[in-house]
Amino acid sequence: MKKFVIIIIAGMLYMIPGRSQIINKEPLSIRQTGYKIDAKLDPLTKTVTGTMEAFWVNKSADIVPDIQLHLYMNAFRNKKTTMYKESAGLLNSKDQNSGWIDVKSFTDRNGSDFTRVMNFISPDDGNPFDQTVLKALLPKPALPGDTVFINMVFETRLPSITRRTGYSDDFYFVAQWFPKFGVYESAGMRYATKGAWNCHQFHANSEFFSNHSVYNVKITVPKEYVVGTGGMLIAESDSDAEGKNKTLTYRAEDIVDFAWTAWPGYAVFTDKWQHIKITLLLPKDRIEQVERQFTAVKHAMEYYAKYVGPYPWPYLTIVDPPAKGARAGGMEYTTLFTSSSSYLVPAFIHFPEMVTIHEFGHAYFMGILASNEFEEPWLDEGVNSFWEERIVDHYYGENSGLINHPFLKIADKSLGRLSYVHSEGRQDVTNNEYSWNYPHRTYGMMSYDKTATWLYTLMGIIGEETTNEVFREYYKKWAFKHPSGKDFVNVVNEVVTRIHGDKFGPDMNWFFNQTLYGNGLCDYKVTNIYNKKLETLKENLSDSDSINKNLLSMDRQYKSVVELERAGEVMLPVEVLVHFKNGDELLESWDGKSRFKDFSYTGNREIEWVKIDPEFKIRMDVNYINNSMTLNPDRVPLRRLTNKLISFMQFFINFISL
Amino acid sequence: MKIFISLETGILRSVKSWKGIVIVWLCSLLLVSLVAIPMKGALKSGLGNSMITEKLANGINVEVFADLGTAFRSLFSYFSTGLFMVLFVGFLINSFLSGGLFDSLKGISGTFSPVKFFIASAKNFWSFVIISLIISLAVILLAILIVVIPVSIVSHAESSSEGAALKTGIILTSFFLLILVLLLLVADYTRAWQVSHDKNECFKALGFGFSQTFRTFFSSYPLMLILLVVQLLYGWLVLIVLPGIKPVTEGGIVLLFILSQFLFFIKILLKVWRYGSVTKMMELHFERLNRGV
Repeated sequence: MKKFVIIIIAGMLYMIPGRSQIINKEPLSIRQTGYKIDAKLDPLTKTVTGTMEAFWVNKSADIVPDIQLHLYMNAFRNKKTTMYKESAGLLNSKDQNSGWIDVKSFTDRNGSDFTRVMNFISPDDGNPFDQTVLKALLPKPALPGDTVFINMVFETRLPSITRRTGYSDDFYFVAQWFPKFGVYESAGMRYATKGAWNCHQFHANSEFFSNHSVYNVKITVPKEYVVGTGGMLIAESDSDAEGKNKTLTYRAEDIVDFAWTAWPGYAVFTDKWQHIKITLLLPKDRIEQVERQFTAVKHAMEYYAKYVGPYPWPYLTIVDPPAKGARAGGMEYTTLFTSSSSYLVPAFIHFPEMVTIHEFGHAYFMGILASNEFEEPWLDEGVNSFWEERIVDHYYGENSGLINHPFLKIADKSLGRLSYVHSEGRQDVTNNEYSWNYPHRTYGMMSYDKTATWLYTLMGIIGEETTNEVFREYYKKWAFKHPSGKDFVNVVNEVVTRIHGDKFGPDMNWFFNQTLYGNGLCDYKVTNIYNKKLETLKENLSDSDSINKNLLSMDRQYKSVVELERAGEVMLPVEVLVHFKNGDELLESWDGKSRFKDFSYTGNREIEWVKIDPEFKIRMDVNYINNSMTLNPDRVPLRRLTNKLISFMQFFINFISL
Repeated sequence: MKIFISLETGILRSVKSWKGIVIVWLCSLLLVSLVAIPMKGALKSGLGNSMITEKLANGINVEVFADLGTAFRSLFSYFSTGLFMVLFVGFLINSFLSGGLFDSLKGISGTFSPVKFFIASAKNFWSFVIISLIISLAVILLAILIVVIPVSIVSHAESSSEGAALKTGIILTSFFLLILVLLLLVADYTRAWQVSHDKNECFKALGFGFSQTFRTFFSSYPLMLILLVVQLLYGWLVLIVLPGIKPVTEGGIVLLFILSQFLFFIKILLKVWRYGSVTKMMELHFERLNRGV
């Protein structure tokens, strides 16, 4: 009897995915949606066929007449989809095979057929050729608290690999592959003023927005395939009598998407960080990268746990795709992400580590803090880039995080800053823009690099520990919810005023209005230094007067002035370090508001040099060169560079000549 | 035995021709200075009186160069054009001066005379240009045929493993380097023959270069291999030593200049040693023929 009860309970747990716990003791999210999928990969036709049982709970106070689902794979159905149009030829159409998802049957739990009441909608651009959003009218509207159950049979044809999904030869990366609910936003949630589905089309420049869900996924693949997923392996069995195929059963809880990969060539390695089991899948030839990948991800885990919050799942899967599947590299699915290394990457180049740290970071900024990447890409990609740069430079060298070679050292944060400050489109648009509205290929620069740069600037102003506290609070308050940009700003305001009082004003909105919501440039410059000798006692004495020589030197008086200018529109408080010839130094503060500012000193000391923002805290400043001025410029570094350039050219010519 | 005699004679003759080496060194310094000095000036004006040069204390800093903005773009374009110009002019000057060098390394040359050096340079200029051009093109063509094309095919083959391209690349590059040794022998024999003849017959000289290389393969090849290994080791040593030196004072900069130019002088000496050794090897072969052995 006891055994029978256990079987019944286990069966119920599998059948009702949202209500059970297997991975964590307690649910991490409210679990508004859940999916049970049985999928089979056919390597011959490059298709995944599946049956899906899913639910959506109406947690709002609204009566909801319909449901909306993403059918992302339809973005690859034809050349007129929104994604293709926005790609403007960037997708390689010559070797691009189409992909699509067909809904074969679609019913509710009672067998009511949805296929007659469903239609494709294009809420973002009205494109009639785009079929990436499916809307279905419910037989009867969902009342507050109701759960809508749906059953679907679908067939997904994978495209040849593009946009981090598809196949290449016998390599498969299966992402955005199943019908997925949009997010129903009730009034007050993020920017919603009334309840509505937030279900955007698949765009060229955007990623995703989904509810935290429970996934029970069965995957059937040919037996020789090695599979990696964002779930935890629960069971494995032969799926046919001949033993040609195998079925793997996975469970994932509280993640926003479920992706998987299958390839016979993977080597599998495991490691642990604290209680978290890390599984790494990578090509067998690339074994020398194993330690680097594990080390990088453990660095990230340690840093995030210390400064943001815990990684709450007991497992993590890293996929390092083979060269033929390289287009699947650098993508995140919370508990699974793809890195991007290659055979024998030299140890001084930390790009693979950078990608691993970046993609892992999305488990926080997208996975746990599930912001809307369609509408506020900066809140995921930008914030994550800021943390990636901090972690990479912290563990691999503050000035050499990305490249650490005797000839060349590049910090990760330097590359991020340069991408923004030297972009021609840096003022085309603000960060406050939907992902597909960024003009002239500014999406990456704006959402990743500008954000990371102004976050560094914010850290420069409020301090590193306050910044960490902001993110701890952001995590505490918004984990497993859907924060918006304004929620983040509110957390900053709350933490900064709690720690610093009104040192920076009643709130930090003045900062965000200029950086996040503004497109002005920040540029402070030193325009001049001069030391004007004043009339002295000696000059008033006649030759016959006798006076102590020391007194005379003490009497030498100067009016010393530094002239500063705010050349950009952005007004930020800066420090100004003034150095005098006698070794004295003064650290002045300038609120940066006025266009011009002079610091003037009268006394017996002359100014030798001046530096605005001596510690380079204001990383938004578009030109560091004009931040300082000296009366005695040090030309040694230039001479050394010239010297080495001469030698390099001489040796080079000698080397290549016969 | 012939190898050691050639090596020994080669070094003695190259030391004897030190004035020729000084001429080559001076020309090289003048040539690259034409590009490097104005570049320094442009960089100096771009940086003005800024203290950002502090960030250059540990070498190249990408933020500093990028913050130069349009000045950097001009600088970069000037550098690329300058490098191209230096390569082109360098090719011509090298062709010119190596005529004088080969001439001064002959057994019958006697004491080094700058006048004779320049006369020989001028006399052999066009032949040497054609010889250098043909051999350089052969090197490039062989590199494409032996390394670039096969490696591209392997790396694009879906069935090949990831390391296959690299492994193929390493094997084929090694093979190419072995062939390169032959081509250098051809180039040196060709030029050594040309300077020992009054007429400018570069194609005949090339024919001699090829036949001599293969006729004396078992002695010539190891000789060239030894010379190239020494040069490579020296190049590697320079690559280790020079970038690590970061003087912070004006005096240090002067010392760095002296050191780097001294190291470059030795590099030219090693190359001239190669010319001298191959010349001696050719002379030994002729002596043997004259003796009727």
